[in-house]
Amino acid sequence: MTTFIIRRVVWTIPVILLVILMTFLMMRQIGGNPFRHTERNVPPAIQANLERKFHLDKPWYTQYAYYVKGVFTFDLGPSMSQRTRTVNDVVKDGFPRSLKLGILAYLWAILFGVPAGILAALKPNSIFDYGAMLFSSVGFALPSFFVATLLIYYVGLKAGLVPTNGWPAGFWQFDDRIILPSFALGLFPMAYFARLVRGAMLETMQQDYVRTAKAKGLRYRRVIGLHVLRNSLIPAVTATAPLLGLIITGTFVIEFIFSIPGIGRYFINSVSNRDYSVVMGITVLTSIIIVIANLFVDIMYGVLDPRTREAR
Amino acid sequence: MRRMKLLLLVMGLLGSFALAAVGCGGGGGGGGGTTGGGGGGLAANQVLNIAWGAEPPSLDPGLATDTTSSNVLLAIMDPLVKLNPDTLQAEPSLAESWDVSADGKTVTFHLSHDGKWTNGDPVTASDFVYSWKRTLSPELAADYAYQLYGIVGAQDYNSCEKNCDALADKVGVEAPDDFTLVVHLTSAQPWFIQQASHHSFLAVHRATVEKFGDKWTEPQNIVTDGPFMLKKWEHDAEIDLVKNPNWRDAKDVKLTAINGKIIVDGTTRVQAFESGEVDTLDGSGLPPDEIARLKTTPEYELYPSLGTYYYGFNMKNISDIHERRALSLAINRRQIIDQIAQADQLPATGFTPKGISGFDQINPNSPWLPENGDLDQAKSELSQAASPKKDINLFFNDAPGHKEIATAVQAQWQQLGIKSTLKQQEWAQYLEFLGPPPNNAVDVYRLGWIYDFPDAINGLELWTCDSGNNNTNYCDKNFDALVAKAKATTDDSARYDVYGQLEQMLFGQDGALPLSPIYWYTYPNLEKQSVKDSFFISPLDQIDFTKVVVKAS
Repeated sequence: MTTFIIRRVVWTIPVILLVILMTFLMMRQIGGNPFRHTERNVPPAIQANLERKFHLDKPWYTQYAYYVKGVFTFDLGPSMSQRTRTVNDVVKDGFPRSLKLGILAYLWAILFGVPAGILAALKPNSIFDYGAMLFSSVGFALPSFFVATLLIYYVGLKAGLVPTNGWPAGFWQFDDRIILPSFALGLFPMAYFARLVRGAMLETMQQDYVRTAKAKGLRYRRVIGLHVLRNSLIPAVTATAPLLGLIITGTFVIEFIFSIPGIGRYFINSVSNRDYSVVMGITVLTSIIIVIANLFVDIMYGVLDPRTREAR
Repeated sequence: MRRMKLLLLVMGLLGSFALAAVGCGGGGGGGGGTTGGGGGGLAANQVLNIAWGAEPPSLDPGLATDTTSSNVLLAIMDPLVKLNPDTLQAEPSLAESWDVSADGKTVTFHLSHDGKWTNGDPVTASDFVYSWKRTLSPELAADYAYQLYGIVGAQDYNSCEKNCDALADKVGVEAPDDFTLVVHLTSAQPWFIQQASHHSFLAVHRATVEKFGDKWTEPQNIVTDGPFMLKKWEHDAEIDLVKNPNWRDAKDVKLTAINGKIIVDGTTRVQAFESGEVDTLDGSGLPPDEIARLKTTPEYELYPSLGTYYYGFNMKNISDIHERRALSLAINRRQIIDQIAQADQLPATGFTPKGISGFDQINPNSPWLPENGDLDQAKSELSQAASPKKDINLFFNDAPGHKEIATAVQAQWQQLGIKSTLKQQEWAQYLEFLGPPPNNAVDVYRLGWIYDFPDAINGLELWTCDSGNNNTNYCDKNFDALVAKAKATTDDSARYDVYGQLEQMLFGQDGALPLSPIYWYTYPNLEKQSVKDSFFISPLDQIDFTKVVVKAS
């Protein structure tokens, strides 16, 4: 297990190098002047000063080397559009907010999606099943920005129940502003989990060992709790990592709509501003997160299913 | 054991939800502050809640380039002069008075003795000398350093690669004593006093800048000298200002605090206003699809702006003057304003917008820019064109509204028998694509110009041969000579006449028509009744918070 983890961690290094290189090249390909944001042309002398300051006057491989060095020394460099801040500042401010949004969205999924799936599977073709699956289909089909807009309009504006924008400042601070954004973002994973858990449970309940467990006279709760549930959660755990990608890209949109100062909003702004260093920093950060999430899933496999552990 | 863990996990999750619910109970009560007091009088609580349209990229006067930064800076710093919001003429601020030498090349500001930094230091003329040279220094690499290029030696210092220190000493700004600031200009620049109201001309506190470096603008470090102080800056979320009780004119400032929420998305901004979370927006635009509805509300307010929305012609591709006239004549400005832009913009009759000093003398009242379009005349002009280009590429960027306008123009040109292909690009790509040098693939392009300072020269000099903003291929030495003449003319009325001649060269009966102005911008805004009377956005997009009072509702 330990060698497996070490091997996976070492493998992340070339992955991240490649991510940096590709982001770097793509950013350059789309063109645009990072120092020109309005119709005003930048006088050549000022352009030269700016390029010198941000090393853009160096050849591309030198710039790439700067970035790589920055990433591995945890110094992502100065922001080109927010001139008094560094990318580290941006990440330090924005990332905890996005992380909190993502965790809260997952909470919706775990607290409501998983139980809904379990209920639907335990009572197949019942009103619970149909209800949960209808909800799941709707949650699946509606894009988060649409759900967000509906929520803002009806819950925020018409009913006036909760604010339409903003986000509590501290990581451990919670108020009514967290409800709409986390629900809008959590709806898709909620629907996904419900469907996934239902399917997995139904399949597990057909398994021989479940029949054996029932046959040997175990209590129903114990059969479901120990044998069925545990094995049915594997697909849900597996889905966590790819879902994480979806959640991260989802936060970009949700943060924009609800005016949440998270990292996703910085990312969007930075792409249109051609703030190379911020785009690079956030891309690298998100790819590290996804790599780690995949690693976590692989480890969880081992915990939940001893067969995979031995196979490695 | 495992079940225990699961139980703990679930309990933890429920716990955080309970926390969230507790938080809910407390929400909603905060903010506010605009109630109380008798009807018609002032509210007991003079707090303004405003929604800013963007995070200020920098609160360093040397580095700030955008409107939000500028407005926050003008609230927390003390400019030498302010512009009268109606006439746009310079009025004393930190500078109590100023003299201009007979040749117009030397400007002397006499500073108030009461200017004070928030740490107690007096504001002196040498603060300005330091600050302006800092903005010009190549190491700071300030985007707006060119604002100071009118000062002797400024451009040389800003573009220096060696001997920079010697060049810095040659920059024509000096402080003979603590309260006298002398500026030597490269030429007579009659607009210089007005230009000095721009945030690039603000002073910074030297000791603070040198101590904290890039981080000097954070609330815990910053030292300012204006009517308000930066209390809190939660990046991308909130900017809170409080009144500076020690400011030289603090007794005239009614607001005790300005709580700013940063809301980038226009629709979200409107929602925040309508749900009562903010008292006013900052004029950074209303979503085009909502503006028709918002216009009917009593909170709607409209301000003229110094800005021009135009279609530029690539004169190499649309080379025949008759064709340019035809294209310009066919555009129905009234229809575009009423049905698409919808913010009561003014149909342009020249480049220089209404509201600029000397407008009546300058405006060419161009025959080629009819408000409602003139299809018959357009057709007759087109028939005189030798070999008109019948298939043209029309370029614009992907911000809201531009495509709709382009589609309308496309339909209007279609009636002339000219087929246009719409080409949309993302903003940063678009700017690079257009040039300079002008891109040959472009036949017609949309762009706007927002004035830096309220003098027509700021917009007219765009059309000189080596301007970095002229993508039309228009180049007329006579025009350039006339621009130079205008710059040297200190008498306002005489100068406005020259501006009038420049407008004639562009848009007059025999004008070259390198571009077709569509409309002059406005700033539509939403303001609660409690602040509507005193809240004001100037044509240069500046808000003077010292004048704002909150009325009891």
